[in-house]
Amino acid sequence: MKRKLMSMLMASTMAASLLVGCGGQATDTNASGESGDTSVASDEQVTLTVLAGQSTTDAGIEDMIDAALAEKYPNITLEWECVGWDGEFHPKMQQYMQTGIPDIIIGKGQDVATYSSLGLLGEIDSTYTDRVIDAANENVTFDGKTYGLVYNALYQGVYYNRQMFEENGWEIPKNQEDLQAIIDDCNAKGITPFASHMVDTWSIGNVTMQFMMNDVFNNNPTWGDDFRAGKTSFSTDEAAQICYQYNKLIYDNTFPETFSLEQTDCDAKMVLGDAAMKVSGSWSIQNFLDIDENFDFGIFPFPNQTGDSKLIFEPNIAIMTSATTEHQDAVNCVLDLLTSDEELAVEIYDYTKTASMLKGISPTFTNPSQSDIDKYAAEDMVVDVNLGNNQLVWGGFQEENAADIAAWLLGDESFEDCLAASDARVDVSSSAAE
Amino acid sequence: MGYKNTNGLQKRLEKQYLLLVIPGFVIFTIGIIIPTILAFRFSLTSWNGLTPDKPFVGLKNYVTLFNDSNFLQSWWFTIKFTIGNTIIQNVLALLFAVALDSGIKAQKIYRTVLFIPCLISSVIVGFIWLKMYSNVLPEINEWLGTNINFLLFGSGETVLSGLLIANNWQWIGYWMLIYLAGLQSIPAELYEAAKVDGAGAVSRFFNITIPMLAPSITICVVGITTGSLKVYDLLVSSTGGGPGRSSTSVILQIYNTAIGARQFGYGSAMSVTLVFALLLVALVQVKTLKSREVQQ
Repeated sequence: MKRKLMSMLMASTMAASLLVGCGGQATDTNASGESGDTSVASDEQVTLTVLAGQSTTDAGIEDMIDAALAEKYPNITLEWECVGWDGEFHPKMQQYMQTGIPDIIIGKGQDVATYSSLGLLGEIDSTYTDRVIDAANENVTFDGKTYGLVYNALYQGVYYNRQMFEENGWEIPKNQEDLQAIIDDCNAKGITPFASHMVDTWSIGNVTMQFMMNDVFNNNPTWGDDFRAGKTSFSTDEAAQICYQYNKLIYDNTFPETFSLEQTDCDAKMVLGDAAMKVSGSWSIQNFLDIDENFDFGIFPFPNQTGDSKLIFEPNIAIMTSATTEHQDAVNCVLDLLTSDEELAVEIYDYTKTASMLKGISPTFTNPSQSDIDKYAAEDMVVDVNLGNNQLVWGGFQEENAADIAAWLLGDESFEDCLAASDARVDVSSSAAE
Repeated sequence: MGYKNTNGLQKRLEKQYLLLVIPGFVIFTIGIIIPTILAFRFSLTSWNGLTPDKPFVGLKNYVTLFNDSNFLQSWWFTIKFTIGNTIIQNVLALLFAVALDSGIKAQKIYRTVLFIPCLISSVIVGFIWLKMYSNVLPEINEWLGTNINFLLFGSGETVLSGLLIANNWQWIGYWMLIYLAGLQSIPAELYEAAKVDGAGAVSRFFNITIPMLAPSITICVVGITTGSLKVYDLLVSSTGGGPGRSSTSVILQIYNTAIGARQFGYGSAMSVTLVFALLLVALVQVKTLKSREVQQ
């Protein structure tokens, strides 16, 4: 009898826990389309949910924000959910779209186009967007409304070992001929021209977009729209094909173990002088300086066919807000903190080794490549990669194309098949979700 | 009177069984049946996983599947990985089990050493072997002055071998324990009788050990096969499906398609085919192997 009672009790407990577990999602995603109607009194405790899709450089900034918030707005608490941007952020967003998205979403600039097109994001008040440099607002503004607050930026191009360049008398290459001359000299002297870590397929996708920015989007900013309209394709556009071919140039002039080499090991080789250049982005700076704080490096844009390449900047952390948040005032307090607290901003920029997108605020960490960045910025030779990322989406398109490029480099696929595979993905190439 | 009592007991037992089955049935329904039905429903749409609209496209996704070279390639990799694992893991696990059952010294130490890797998450195993191939093992070349190619994850031709080594390193100890348990349950009298009849070691192994291990073989073969068909976590942390697409498994392809490429409908069609394949393989294996057990 006792055993029977126990088994009944266990069975009913398990069934009840299942029902409770599955029935608790009662968040009303349609509630209160007009945000901002709930004011936050200073003594009212508010908890905001935050989904943060982070790059490896960003992990840890949530603690800095929490500390600053506790000081300035002690009644507001942030409930963080930090995930990797590359693999987990979009699945999480898809999950939250079924149950109600968090009050604040932190992603990348390119995510703004995707989620604003679904009506999920709230417009960010100009009080806060005015504190951001104008160029950063451009690609997160749609139909005159700004849906993302771009907080920092990464620069992308060719990082070079400054000392090695000086010792060998190499000038910064302006065109492909100049670059080839450096490559030839490197090979003659037994120096590996490029450090690369092609085991990370994303790195192939990243550099390919860098190439496309200067050889394709530089001439036709709506190349992606034309691609979808059938006016151009990878199989027919020579400029696009050249961008894929640049990968071969790197592959032929890099470490033989590139498809087994991780980023940290690759960056270490670069710092130790095993290679002269690395096509990369600011995310490498953390590694460079961690390995050797005295490593002297610069940056230049990967030379294009016409010799007018621009340095690429990528708005990185982009803060978005829910269109249906019930705590708009508290959300605004967080936006205020992030855009006005100079100490916090500098702390974050110094930690992530990234550039500021806030007017009048600059990081204080020593960035050996800053003089090059300043030079290109002064010459107006800097371009926002979101232009390309909004034309050709990363997830499912650029990322998949990169896998085909890798297969082609390894001889598993012909170049024509690689181009055809990119063309076949035309239906999933748009960053807009609809 | 006695019949009435038995009948009442039978009914009470049936009620009790039913009650005990309910939690499992509820979990199975919510976790397997409903998602499978939903996946099939989504597979008939071109839903991107984001928008409220789920445009109905009929069987178009299934037709596209069979012309999708990436999907077919992912199946080819998965099949090779599964066959390799099933053969290597079963053979080695059985051999280790037989060796440990033969009364060698320090049996417990060997058993523990072989078992430990299966306690580690597959994600960690992927990281470990990525580092092994790219950093640790090449050091041996430095020490010995040799030129052995340890960069197994770096080429499409060797990546399968590298993954088989990593996967077998992790799981052989687990299946070995199952075989060991099976071996220890074989009555010693059978071997003694065979010895008296003049049977040698090889003859005893094939005529007593293998037949008596049939239930263990069923468990191991089905477990290894279905586990290999579902490989995902090991790949994510080691090769990411590369280089190129040379180690992209079906599950990884489904994830990349449904989540990465926002083709939820098409990805669902892929997953439905995988479910059917898994059911078919498990059914055939269980039927075949169970029939052998019955014959013993």
